[in-house]
Amino acid sequence: MTGDAIWYEAAHVVGVTNALNVAADGLAALPAVTSMLPPVTEDDPRPEIVTLFAEIRAFYARPEVPAVFRFLARDAGYAADLWGAVRRAFDDNRLPRRLKEALAFAVSLTTRSPWGSAFHLQEMRRLGVGDGGVMEVIGVTQMFSSYTKIADTLQLEPDMGDIAPIDDSPAPGGPARSG
Amino acid sequence: MPTVRLRDASEYPDPAQRLFELSKIWFNHDFKEPAAMSRVMAWDPEFGGPHGRAMKRAMASGEFTRGEKEMVAAVVSGVNACEY
Repeated sequence: MTGDAIWYEAAHVVGVTNALNVAADGLAALPAVTSMLPPVTEDDPRPEIVTLFAEIRAFYARPEVPAVFRFLARDAGYAADLWGAVRRAFDDNRLPRRLKEALAFAVSLTTRSPWGSAFHLQEMRRLGVGDGGVMEVIGVTQMFSSYTKIADTLQLEPDMGDIAPIDDSPAPGGPARSG
Repeated sequence: MPTVRLRDASEYPDPAQRLFELSKIWFNHDFKEPAAMSRVMAWDPEFGGPHGRAMKRAMASGEFTRGEKEMVAAVVSGVNACEY
């Protein structure tokens, strides 16, 4: 797991996972909110919504659009842009989608997101992760939820930063670093 | 600044020295001084022992590789805003 590129990818997954969880748990799951701000219906005829929802259904291989996306689609332009980032973050790239779903599950578990934990667990299972693999991710998440709190309680200072080699490659498409 | 004085490795008894050697092997890195967390865990072997075994069990390659699990661990640490 060396080189910075995979870590940029992982960070993007963490970011958009949290973004979706915020809207899913904080808004889309609350009847008091959706009664005032109803989600877009599955069969909304606007072409931009039809296209967006078709992409989402295909990406997740499910017949229904997750409620959070229907809620966000109240602003179709915003939802389409956000979806572009979500799809890019989660699609197979240097990191496989299966691992990205595991990262998203760990993030959701750590941030106590009921929607995110359930959704990314379903996605992990759909992508072939078995019971053992799920428990592996839960175990790692638990153990490092312990280590981090022990470290914070004792205010330990980082002392392992020099284990990983520095990646001197440029940004994608950019020139090599001078000097 | 840590809220406790982290003891040097030389201040730990022999069983802890063995744990420090295992830590070097685990991280494949020759620390000048054991990592702070290793020294914290060695303070009480009756806690650090089972905690460390649970960690190694969780981190061992299975459906996910050790490297993939290190990434999960890094993500969890980041979300917990843990600087260490």
